[in-house]
Amino acid sequence: MSAVTSVLPYGVAAWLFGIGLYGIATSRNFIHLVGCLGVCQSATYVLLLGLGYRWGSIAPIFYDHPPGTPAVDPVMQALVLTDIVVGATLTALLLVLTIQAYKRGGSLDPEKLRPMRAGGKSGRDAGSGRVRDA
Amino acid sequence: MSPRARVALLAVAGLVLLPGAAAVIAGLPPFGSTIAQYGARINAIVPEARHVANMVSAINFDLRGLDTLGEEFMLLAAITGTVVLLRGRRGEGSSERAMRRPGRAVIPRSEAVVLACRVAGPLTALFGLYVVLHATVTPGGGFQGGVILASGTLLIYLGEGYAGWRDAIRSHWLDALEGGGALLFALCGLVPMLTGAAFMQNILPLGTFRDLFSGGLMLVENLGVALAVMGGFTQLFLEFMEETRAADAPEEPGEESA
Repeated sequence: MSAVTSVLPYGVAAWLFGIGLYGIATSRNFIHLVGCLGVCQSATYVLLLGLGYRWGSIAPIFYDHPPGTPAVDPVMQALVLTDIVVGATLTALLLVLTIQAYKRGGSLDPEKLRPMRAGGKSGRDAGSGRVRDA
Repeated sequence: MSPRARVALLAVAGLVLLPGAAAVIAGLPPFGSTIAQYGARINAIVPEARHVANMVSAINFDLRGLDTLGEEFMLLAAITGTVVLLRGRRGEGSSERAMRRPGRAVIPRSEAVVLACRVAGPLTALFGLYVVLHATVTPGGGFQGGVILASGTLLIYLGEGYAGWRDAIRSHWLDALEGGGALLFALCGLVPMLTGAAFMQNILPLGTFRDLFSGGLMLVENLGVALAVMGGFTQLFLEFMEETRAADAPEEPGEESA
């Protein structure tokens, strides 16, 4: 295969990771940040599936094809499966933390949130003037 | 730190890491050429050794079953953290029944939506069960099937509305499904040890190749994972939905941030 197709999947993975990282660095909103983390994570799917691919081979399931038919790397597919499941629940956990931060600080902007102190100044620093205790 | 300074910092860090990353990328095999030895060996040996057709299931539930057990508990920990954080704020007093938030209109559903969900819901659940049971012969397994089962319960919500959904689905059932599934998976590791075998060694008969009942212990582990995933994802949805209602303690966020 040509040089372009040989590098393209890795290029796509690098681009996805880079653009997700840029989004995380410039994010002014926690929900946007969690979304950017998801973009970064999808780069790992592309990378893993690209590493395990082989031209002219089947999925590693020998039901219609007899064992011995060329198949792609099953280890990578198992890793992607793990990645997806853990990523989904982790996204949920991060979104819950976002909800908590919003309730405490009244803002989704990481710039406006200040470290919480025992004195309960956090609400005022966040600009909302609302102080709640748990 | 201003956004511009953050981007500059990211660029500097990127420049430092770039030579290493470039070396690694240059060392990668060309796309589509060869697969690693480990994967090739698994494709060659495992169909005869374990009598299963799906190599991904064989890796996840047999060869590297211990990893999947860890992943299962990672999932359990993430969902537990989510539930604790959300439910902890609402307190223990929240009732099992769905409550109407005052001042919020309930939009009536069209009968076509209700009918479609009543038809599609059970079919989706059936398909999820199919995917779980055929873990060792077709592309499928506990994780995928569990998510499909969870989406089947969400179709009930779409069709019947939130109140009807909460009447049908109890939170502690979901807790039991989630924890019970993880327990079943852990028992699949521990019970073989009672017979003198190693942790998670396949002690059940392996069955015949390309048959539904092949792979021995893998089927039981898949069932455990499916229960945990279904319970966990439905639980996540329930807790996030409960968060929007806030009937007894209304929250007014002080400042809207765009």
